Amino acid sequence: MSRALVLSVIVGCAAIGAAAVWYTERGAVDTNQVATVVGEYCLDCHNGIDFAGSLRLDDKDMLDIGEDAEIWEHVVRKLKTGMMPPAGEPRPERTTLDGLTANLEQRLDRFAADNPRPGPTVLRRLNRTEYANVIRDLVDLRVDASTLLPLDDSSEGFDNIGSALGVSPSLVESYVSAAMKISRWALGDSTAPRTQVAYAAPQGLDQSRHFDGFPIGTRGGMSFEHLFPLDAEYEIQIRRGFGRGSGRIDFTIDGEPIEAEGIGNLRIPITAGPHTLTVANVDTRRSAGVDDIYSAPPPTGGIQLVEIDGPFNAAGVGDTPSRQRVLICEPTSSEDENDCAREVISTIASRAFRRPLEAEDLPPLVSFYDAGRAEGDFESGIQRALARILVDPRFIYRIERDRTTPENGGAHSIDDYEFATRLSFFIWSSIPDDELLSIAASGLLRDPEVLKRQVERMLADSKSVALVDNFASQWLFLRELESVTPDTEAFTENLRQAMASESEQLFDTIMREDLSILRLLDSEYSFVNEELANHYGYAGVRGSHFRRIDLPDGSQRQGLLGHASILTVTSVTNRTSPVLRGSWILETLLGSPAPTPPPDVETTLEGDDGATVAMTVRERLEAHRANPVCASCHAIMDPIGFSLENFDLIGAWRDTDGGQPIDTQGVLTDGTVLNGPAALREALLARPEAFVTTATEKLLTYALGRGIEYYDMPAIRAIVSQAATEDFRFSALILGVVESEAFGTRATGAIE
Amino acid sequence: MRFLSGKYLSRRALIRGAGAALSLPLLESMFPAGRAWAQSNAVPKVRAGFIYVPHGVTMARWTPAQNGRDFELSEILAPLEPLKQKINVISDLTHPQAYGPGGATAHHNRSSAVFLSGAMAQAGSEARLGTTVDQVIAQAIGQDTPLPSLELMINEGSLSCGDGLSCAYRNTLSWQSATSPLPMERNPQVVFERLFGDGSTDEERAARRAQALSLLDAVSDQIATLERQLPATDRERLDLFLTDVREIERRIERAGSRSSDDLDIPTRPAGIPEDIDEHIKLMMDLQILAWQADITRVTTFQLASELSNTVYPASGVSDAFHILSHHSHIEENKQRFAVLNRYHIGLLTYLLEKLDSLPDGDGSLLDNSVVLYGSGMSDGNEHNHSPLPLLLAGHAGGSLEGGRHLRHDPDTSMSDLLLALLHKLDIEQPNFGDSAGALSV
Repeated sequence: MSRALVLSVIVGCAAIGAAAVWYTERGAVDTNQVATVVGEYCLDCHNGIDFAGSLRLDDKDMLDIGEDAEIWEHVVRKLKTGMMPPAGEPRPERTTLDGLTANLEQRLDRFAADNPRPGPTVLRRLNRTEYANVIRDLVDLRVDASTLLPLDDSSEGFDNIGSALGVSPSLVESYVSAAMKISRWALGDSTAPRTQVAYAAPQGLDQSRHFDGFPIGTRGGMSFEHLFPLDAEYEIQIRRGFGRGSGRIDFTIDGEPIEAEGIGNLRIPITAGPHTLTVANVDTRRSAGVDDIYSAPPPTGGIQLVEIDGPFNAAGVGDTPSRQRVLICEPTSSEDENDCAREVISTIASRAFRRPLEAEDLPPLVSFYDAGRAEGDFESGIQRALARILVDPRFIYRIERDRTTPENGGAHSIDDYEFATRLSFFIWSSIPDDELLSIAASGLLRDPEVLKRQVERMLADSKSVALVDNFASQWLFLRELESVTPDTEAFTENLRQAMASESEQLFDTIMREDLSILRLLDSEYSFVNEELANHYGYAGVRGSHFRRIDLPDGSQRQGLLGHASILTVTSVTNRTSPVLRGSWILETLLGSPAPTPPPDVETTLEGDDGATVAMTVRERLEAHRANPVCASCHAIMDPIGFSLENFDLIGAWRDTDGGQPIDTQGVLTDGTVLNGPAALREALLARPEAFVTTATEKLLTYALGRGIEYYDMPAIRAIVSQAATEDFRFSALILGVVESEAFGTRATGAIE
Repeated sequence: MRFLSGKYLSRRALIRGAGAALSLPLLESMFPAGRAWAQSNAVPKVRAGFIYVPHGVTMARWTPAQNGRDFELSEILAPLEPLKQKINVISDLTHPQAYGPGGATAHHNRSSAVFLSGAMAQAGSEARLGTTVDQVIAQAIGQDTPLPSLELMINEGSLSCGDGLSCAYRNTLSWQSATSPLPMERNPQVVFERLFGDGSTDEERAARRAQALSLLDAVSDQIATLERQLPATDRERLDLFLTDVREIERRIERAGSRSSDDLDIPTRPAGIPEDIDEHIKLMMDLQILAWQADITRVTTFQLASELSNTVYPASGVSDAFHILSHHSHIEENKQRFAVLNRYHIGLLTYLLEKLDSLPDGDGSLLDNSVVLYGSGMSDGNEHNHSPLPLLLAGHAGGSLEGGRHLRHDPDTSMSDLLLALLHKLDIEQPNFGDSAGALSV
């Protein structure tokens, strides 16, 4: 035995002795049981020779697990999701596994409490979505960020992850050019040249039906907001698709009817600013009743395009919401100009930078006003200063001041303005509003009662829809709906939109009514319009309007697992995929993604001769699971996926596949028998912590802009167990996240 | 409101704005003969273009039957017939790094990632690959032009890419360094502004350039002030931003130093055309314009993104691209896929013929260019990466012959070809990606 090894053995024994005493003193944990269970059920594979899953536990200190927290957190995750011990291997009683898990968790949590580690703070820049929201809140202007900024990269399932938000010359160029454009649009550009802009209706949308929110008695159509640069005349041309008849068109601007007989050029005066244009075909046929209105074919081809040309005979920049928002004072004399300019600039800049300006911050901004004023008038000065603010790194980046000292070791509490900014980007994907900033100024924001009220206020605000559009749609893969192309005629553009809407509305309802997040899995109601109701086979739902309906008794569609959206994004083009559905549930709901297939494994289901076509998906997968290499993971994924086989590739109900009756039987690794969606739902709800833990991990990832690490798990468990006392209400999770150590702390590389 | 639709370019509107007849192709309306900058250059500069198609092709209908000079173009390559003497079909190469660690089941994102890098896509929260060949070229020959390179795409970028791999591997083909993927642009209007600046008159463009420079100046100052208060990790990130600020300053100054008398600036496109064929051709027109006006000498164009399910009505095939590539070994599917492959070659031909019609020095713009076209996948159903469908067009200023079907040892890395390309452009470096040595072309 070499000298070094002898030494390490001695040191190792000493450590075990010390830890045992330490835990014995506290008296709560029987660590011997852990060693026995692990020894009996884990070490056969997870040892230095077999090294299964690149993990060995035989050399780990089971008494002092804090030092190997990363490995033990991994073990906890596998145990909690029932992935280990694997199918076919001896497995102890569930109570034993639960006891083991609880023991490990308690000790890991205690270690973390004594060794807090908030995790590194990453510098984040505004992504596209945030940029557009911020411009809306800052200067009351809706911009299409996809035409202003390059696409962001995403990571960890979200597009607001600091490390993935890189920079490139194109990005810098885009920020500069966007700043110049937005400053012109916000104040009005008297030199705006005549331009043509065309808006096209989304392709593939069936316009034979009435669209929700469109005038009664119309069919199809399109609606969009356009920014008219000046008070002027504009030419508007509406084009229809095939079968263009002479039917009347219903054309409104901000809801005001515009006389438009048919199609053709129309020149009308329009005031500067954003206006909503809505165009739809008028249904002029007589109808016998409600059913007839909603079922008859369209009178003419759908609206294809609206083109806006202008301005002509411009009268001025007008009075727009943006101008009202920006120009908060009006100089009455040239002496007033300087003071007013300073007021305007410092107001915008403090909103844009999310904190009051320091004395030295103002002059560099005012110098841009001065330069613009020298070349033009007061407003051209303001315009220049606004552009300057919009390229400032304090605007583009969420910069937090570093207060690292030798004493705090690089981790310190952020100030209230920085906290307000984290809060508003988390809940609104935008900057704090004036109320939040003023509470930050008062120094009371982190008072628990004040913070709770603010979080509730923010969730109630319409801007919290960002949590649906950005957080939920990325977490649940709803964004993928935009790119799926199921190979069936039943899948239409209208249905695609309806599917997305149903799931978004469920999440939105849980958020706004502050319900338990478990309702995502078992809501007994849903949100449908006629399109979706027909898809589901529900009778009596008429029209394009979405409404909340109570699901029929015993419905298989309770919760997300019955939503066509989820069932569609987890299918492949021409069939269902129990594997994808199983892996979606593991990753998205249980937070334990299945590993990617090992090397040299055939993953396609098709044979060489196409003769497999007649086999059911199940038959094909059973063959595939016969391979032990595949079976280790597929034994977990496939039964989950099979239980949803009654839903076809776009989530419609079916009783047969390939001529064979659907077989939803399956057994989970822990012995739970599944035989359909209801049983799967029950299995998930039987241990709600697994799902809520995943939801919390995703929320924290999104809130912090970084991936979750093993050292975050104690904080996540704390949030989940606190939320459990409140039936996992949505606001309890949000509040748990914002009150967590990591959310309120800035940690630099110093402690990494 | 779900029915809100995006702005797109009405090509008709564009042509009307340019005051030209409806049927006139964009390029002619933009460039009256004899007005381009490039022609005034005594020594023509070589341009390099890269065009990527995902999902492989029906190889049996791509690879020419004969080798060497005496070969006939295959069914898929037939549209290139008029340019046969200016192209080389390159067969039998592979991209080993596409197979991923330990030869794991290869997939789409790795195919686009490896194509111009010869490097393996790395999993993890930060994307890591390698400098791509187009960027090596841009760093060598792109520094004299306002834009070192131009990156174009057609499909919308993906926001969620799975497999623990960054979307950057799918959304771009161009990497300035191992950790800086360059975004590709799909909106012709944005490309146009990048080429010509924002504004409707010379004075306006000049004024906006001046404003942009003053803004960039302020950003540099502000970063310097801020950095004093920031820890090293944040400073590093802001330094990257600052580097790009300087690069944009350089570009604007260079653009400003051009005499715009030499160039008729065409009318700005209003957005993305609804028709995919039109969209692609408009992007190609902009690329040609950028080369002709010597705004850039390097372009990389992702004709479609991995997993794209675009339908191309003009191809005569109504199947979605990715779905069709999974032909299930059904001959009829393979045949239809070949029709789609041939349509894509038709688009390439559109670009090459335009380039060949434009005089440049003693020859044509195509003679002074090299364009690499191909896919990072071989058979879309098998997800394999050998042999790759590849071809080179243009004479690279005289250093590249044409009219050949070149075959190689199977398992030769495509990196050998990329290295050979660098050498053709007088960029001497001993290795590229996983190359074993320059391929003889």
